[in-house]
Amino acid sequence: MKLTKLASATLLSLATISVTQAVTLDIEVTNLTQAQSFTPRLVVAHDNTVDTFEVGESASSALAWLAEGGVIDDEQSAESSGENFEALLGPADTDNGSNTWHKVDGLLAPKSSNSFQFDALDKPYLSLVSMLIPTNDAFVGMDSIAIPTEPGTYTYYLNAYDAGTELNDELNSARTDIVEAETGNALGGYGVPGVAGGGAPTRVVDLGMGGTGVAAQVVNGEVEDGEDGPVHIHRNALGDTDLEGGASDLDSTVHRWLNPVAKVVVTVPAS
Amino acid sequence: MNNSIIKLSTLLLMSALITACGDDGDRGPQGPAGEQGEAGVDGQDGQDGQDGINGNSAVYTVQITNLTHGQPLAPAAVILHESGFQSFVDNEPASMGIEVMAEGGDPSMVIEEAMASTDFLDAVNSGAVLPPKSVGDIQTLVVPELDADDLKLTVTTMLVNTNDGFTGLNAADVSNMTVGETKTFMTVTWDAGTEKNTETLSTIPGPAAANAGGGGASAGYDPVRDDLADVVRLHSGVVTSANSDDASKEGLAMSVLSEAHRFDNPTSRIVITRTR
Repeated sequence: MKLTKLASATLLSLATISVTQAVTLDIEVTNLTQAQSFTPRLVVAHDNTVDTFEVGESASSALAWLAEGGVIDDEQSAESSGENFEALLGPADTDNGSNTWHKVDGLLAPKSSNSFQFDALDKPYLSLVSMLIPTNDAFVGMDSIAIPTEPGTYTYYLNAYDAGTELNDELNSARTDIVEAETGNALGGYGVPGVAGGGAPTRVVDLGMGGTGVAAQVVNGEVEDGEDGPVHIHRNALGDTDLEGGASDLDSTVHRWLNPVAKVVVTVPAS
Repeated sequence: MNNSIIKLSTLLLMSALITACGDDGDRGPQGPAGEQGEAGVDGQDGQDGQDGINGNSAVYTVQITNLTHGQPLAPAAVILHESGFQSFVDNEPASMGIEVMAEGGDPSMVIEEAMASTDFLDAVNSGAVLPPKSVGDIQTLVVPELDADDLKLTVTTMLVNTNDGFTGLNAADVSNMTVGETKTFMTVTWDAGTEKNTETLSTIPGPAAANAGGGGASAGYDPVRDDLADVVRLHSGVVTSANSDDASKEGLAMSVLSEAHRFDNPTSRIVITRTR
């Protein structure tokens, strides 16, 4: 009896040791779209108390900042302080108990890939979110996949979601002939109407300027900043083929996509 | 000789004795029955029966989330069955049950068709429309534990703002799930191939058409099969009337749908959990 207990205790401690051996993941993200760029990528390893997004549930303010403006932390936008993912999760690149997260800087252009190393600190789940630009509030999301423990290469295909925190008016934020209804604010990223990121250096074409609005219409030079949540699968950009008119400032022959929009390859090294 | 005489006399005597007995007469009628006695003490409980062979049940819950922006999902047929049965097959004509479900939303004939199969185990009609962007009620299904090693999940539910579009699962494998285990499926969208995708108010049963004065049951099931091909295949999406009156003419002017009814796959998330 004693021998059995001793044996199982030894086995348990061995198991614990093998689990706590930190494994650094190699993660490659590929943008599969033809004309949508990815804003800086938020990569989070976490336990089951953390959820970056959940279909059928309303977006957090942190997700709204990411999906409308591509903002993850204070460094990107001081205005977002206290409401962004940094506020929700804690400091970057450290063990926050429930999670550890990393920001991959820079834009990921259409049809391109980017690899990085990420120490998941033995958290069980992996999530990844990044805004699609130019859109109102579309984001690509990986929702809490169980991090594989066996060494190997694992491939995941990700879908585009609509955060639901802004109506998909598809109006160019560079336009000065339109303002937000009631506030008079200029179009732009978080909290105001308009497509963000139209002028990104990774853009494929310039946006139009004369659209009358898709899911929200321009009325007397104003457009409302409504919501269409909770989080759901994005119904795709509409666009049109008229740069000076039509409903949208996006180009229907350029800016549309179909799921999946990203491929993620996670490599778990042999320890 | 003397002996004979004695014998003879004895015989005579005996016969005289017999004669002296005579008849007893008829018996009287039987008296009335006595009162019933008190009930006896109850007997002891019998011993428990033996366990049946493989008589235990495996219990599963199924929950559907509508991932679309503007497509309510009609009541869903949720079916557990063994391998071998399929409610529909890609690139083959739809059954009448699939046609009725995909054009009008009623899944009951899909369930009836499944029940007719020897591979059928259990089914639930969710009985309620699932609005866009929302999580549905939990459905519970029970199958013999014996069958948990060869188990398939079929789900069908109409996208009601389409002619004959539906989503769900086509005999997805859920074999050998352990108690507490969960499987998540992100589902594609099929075109039943039984109705042309005209997107008009008289052929779409959902609220998009109803709000325009059409829709309803009369815009649902129609026995005529007039699609490009009478086979089930993946749906190509709705065209809608967006951009129909601008220079691009990308839209479908007769469509009662707007850009808000467009969808991309996946259109639903289906989570199955074995709870027992």
